[in-house]
Amino acid sequence: MIGNRARVAVYHHLIGKQLTSYVGLHRKLCWLHSAIAVRWRTGSTPAPILTATPARALVDEQISIKAGFLPQHCPVTLCAQMRSEDGDRWEAFGHYNTSADGTVNLAQDHSVGGSYLGCEPMGLFWGLQPAPGERVGLRLRMKNVEIPLTVDISLMEGHVSPRERESAELAVVTTERWFMTPGVQRIDIRQNGVVGTLFLPPGPGRFPAMVDLWGMGGGLVEYRSAMIASRGFASFSIAYMEHKDLTVQLDISGADAYMKPSCLVCINGPAGSNMELTQTLCKPKTSESDQRFWPQDNAGYLSFREMSSPSNYSPGTQVKIENLACPLMYILGEDDQNFPSTKNSNLIEDVLKAARKSHLYTCLSYPGAGHLIETPYTPHTRLSVWELKPRKILALWGGHVAPHAAAQEDSWKKILKFLDKHLRA
Amino acid sequence: MSQAAPPPILSLAPTRALVDEAFRVRVENLPPGAPVTLRCLHQSEDKDFWEAYGHYVSDATGTVSVADDASLGGTYRGIEATALLWSMRPVPGSRTGLRLRKRDARSPALFTVSVYDGHVGRDFADRRPLAEVLAERWYVAPGVRGVDVRERGVRGTLFIPSGPGPFPGLLDMRAGGGGLPECRSALLASHGYVSLALEYFAPGELASADLEFNYFESAFELVRQHPSVVPDKVGLFGLSLGATAAIYMAAESSVAKPGCCVCIGGGHFYPRGKALSGISQPTNGNVGKLRVDEEQNLIWRDLSLPVSSDLSGKADVRRINCPLLLVNGQDDRNRPTSEDAADMERMMRSVGKRRPLSRPDYPDAGRPSEPPYSPRFRATDFTRDSEKARVTLLWGGRTKAPSDAQEDSWKKILAFLQQHLYSPQYPRARM
Repeated sequence: MIGNRARVAVYHHLIGKQLTSYVGLHRKLCWLHSAIAVRWRTGSTPAPILTATPARALVDEQISIKAGFLPQHCPVTLCAQMRSEDGDRWEAFGHYNTSADGTVNLAQDHSVGGSYLGCEPMGLFWGLQPAPGERVGLRLRMKNVEIPLTVDISLMEGHVSPRERESAELAVVTTERWFMTPGVQRIDIRQNGVVGTLFLPPGPGRFPAMVDLWGMGGGLVEYRSAMIASRGFASFSIAYMEHKDLTVQLDISGADAYMKPSCLVCINGPAGSNMELTQTLCKPKTSESDQRFWPQDNAGYLSFREMSSPSNYSPGTQVKIENLACPLMYILGEDDQNFPSTKNSNLIEDVLKAARKSHLYTCLSYPGAGHLIETPYTPHTRLSVWELKPRKILALWGGHVAPHAAAQEDSWKKILKFLDKHLRA
Repeated sequence: MSQAAPPPILSLAPTRALVDEAFRVRVENLPPGAPVTLRCLHQSEDKDFWEAYGHYVSDATGTVSVADDASLGGTYRGIEATALLWSMRPVPGSRTGLRLRKRDARSPALFTVSVYDGHVGRDFADRRPLAEVLAERWYVAPGVRGVDVRERGVRGTLFIPSGPGPFPGLLDMRAGGGGLPECRSALLASHGYVSLALEYFAPGELASADLEFNYFESAFELVRQHPSVVPDKVGLFGLSLGATAAIYMAAESSVAKPGCCVCIGGGHFYPRGKALSGISQPTNGNVGKLRVDEEQNLIWRDLSLPVSSDLSGKADVRRINCPLLLVNGQDDRNRPTSEDAADMERMMRSVGKRRPLSRPDYPDAGRPSEPPYSPRFRATDFTRDSEKARVTLLWGGRTKAPSDAQEDSWKKILAFLQQHLYSPQYPRARM
């Protein structure tokens, strides 16, 4: 193994030479002894212990990752690896140094390199990115929410990259990340033209409920509703564009006549547009002849910045915000490269202020976060493929890994508290 | 509670756990000072229903926290964080003599925890709960593999942790009740040990005690030689009859050199030349010492008393060279395990053995044979092969003390195994 030969060569090179870094040499030596001992496989030493508790957890739950029975003050790498439903490899890693008692504890210790830095107990999960060599523009979107994401956490000797897993791996623990708690029911709904999936918490009910709407990516996205149901709310995710079972064209005019929500949560969305969005872009299905012309910026990325900027709104497309009759929470990623979220939030705030309804408005604004603020501890996507045919378009969502992860974690807690407050009172 | 009141929020965490992990149960959004019942229901593999329940009153904030609040009645009383698990018993109307055991170690056990209005003690089926949650409890961690073993005459299931290894090994020898309970080996593998759940020979299958002994030695060798196992870090784990076999092997085997030995509810009685299956049965000579309790359950304890000093009737524990953990309950009515253990300690001290012999003793407990939080049931059915009759044996202990014993002894067992089989292997560097 190349790693071993290099280490042995270093050792011979250092014999009899001045030591430039005492600490560095000690680190190399501590692994030299153990590397040889471990590889030798006389089997006289059990592998170090790596634990993840609880091993089966909900996606929004923190888990405790620890390693023990290691040499003291030695470099190690913790690495997470996962295969998506489409077979793509995702990985994350952190470089740590063991403590004086030969342990690593992600709840207390600091990563000094890798996918994240500092004390980040869940960095191995939110830091997941497509592995080198995987397709460009991937986004992790779970379709089957009834099975978990399986993430293998490995402990490796030295400060290495996940590529060296085979030669450097000391221990592995398998974790399962679930979108549904036991007892949550998933129900397909195809009724009166409505296409959706209803998630019900376990128990007799009755439950506070929400309707879950995604963006113009279309389809039927279930994972957020599954998580919300796992937190005690009935959640109905509906499809309104680009779904094989949809026959009805979305028409939101007049919706306010019968929809009286108790509260609203909006993430990075517009309050109007420069065209009739619903007729032009939100079509139930695409046919051969039906070409959508997605707005793009100068760099060629999908961009709604111009279209959804309040100064460009076409008359009649702006939502009558002044008629808002319930609390509204607006979640905003300040580095959103796709939507002019800050401008829209400011518009909403101004209109409500003029209507003396400021008390209804809460804005959570996250520096460094992008457009796709989703469930906590899930990977951040800065760029993904929007469309492949008839031509390839990429979408730049924005955000940077660490602040985006912080935004997902904080906003999720606040969303659940907000729903609790306004739906359970 | 009126129909219009918002439903309470019942929460449980973790919803998917290993069987030796505790869970936290809370109810919120109740009116203050509301009487409620928390109930835990489980249907066993045998299709029997088991339940536990506690009576609570919500505090001024409308909350009940099982970890902090006292149950005023039900199958348990007082502040008992996990009593919804360990105080479970068959629902009224069930068959008698039941014991909660899982045969399939690879699938989870499901528990439904519900909250009811008022203090309910019966007829739960006729009532509608206010809220309900489900919990899965597993013997295997994700990634643990179970492999059937049929090799060199040895039969059992080998459970292997995930990862490159190597790992310490364990030979898991369960009680004399027969069959193949895999659960403990599955759980031990989830804690980082390659563990063989050994299937026993049928009574009379092996012609002599020597052959029986060879069977155990072959099983030990099989674990020791497994490519994922560290050869000099293989321990013995025995319960009841298995504990006796473990002690005998640790003392007298020239082949098996265990790294350590955990013995629950077993003694060093091993009349030489006699079949293992025979030693726990009453013989003609001592059948007069059989007692029954107030419910006509058999007590086997006195069969082995008084403890004899005759060496031909017991294993020579003075020859044991590995660390030994003996776990007993003083109220064990099946075997006089405390007296046995005291005798073992005397024998070992007489030759100045410095190796630790730990003897946590649990007053008021029978033998802590199951992982923690399992229901403790005083009397269960047991088949006595000589008569093919089902008798009900009394194991001892009331519900609460044995559950504390189970929880405490399991922690001690895991710590003991880790200390002796995962001992620090790197010399502390001097800077």
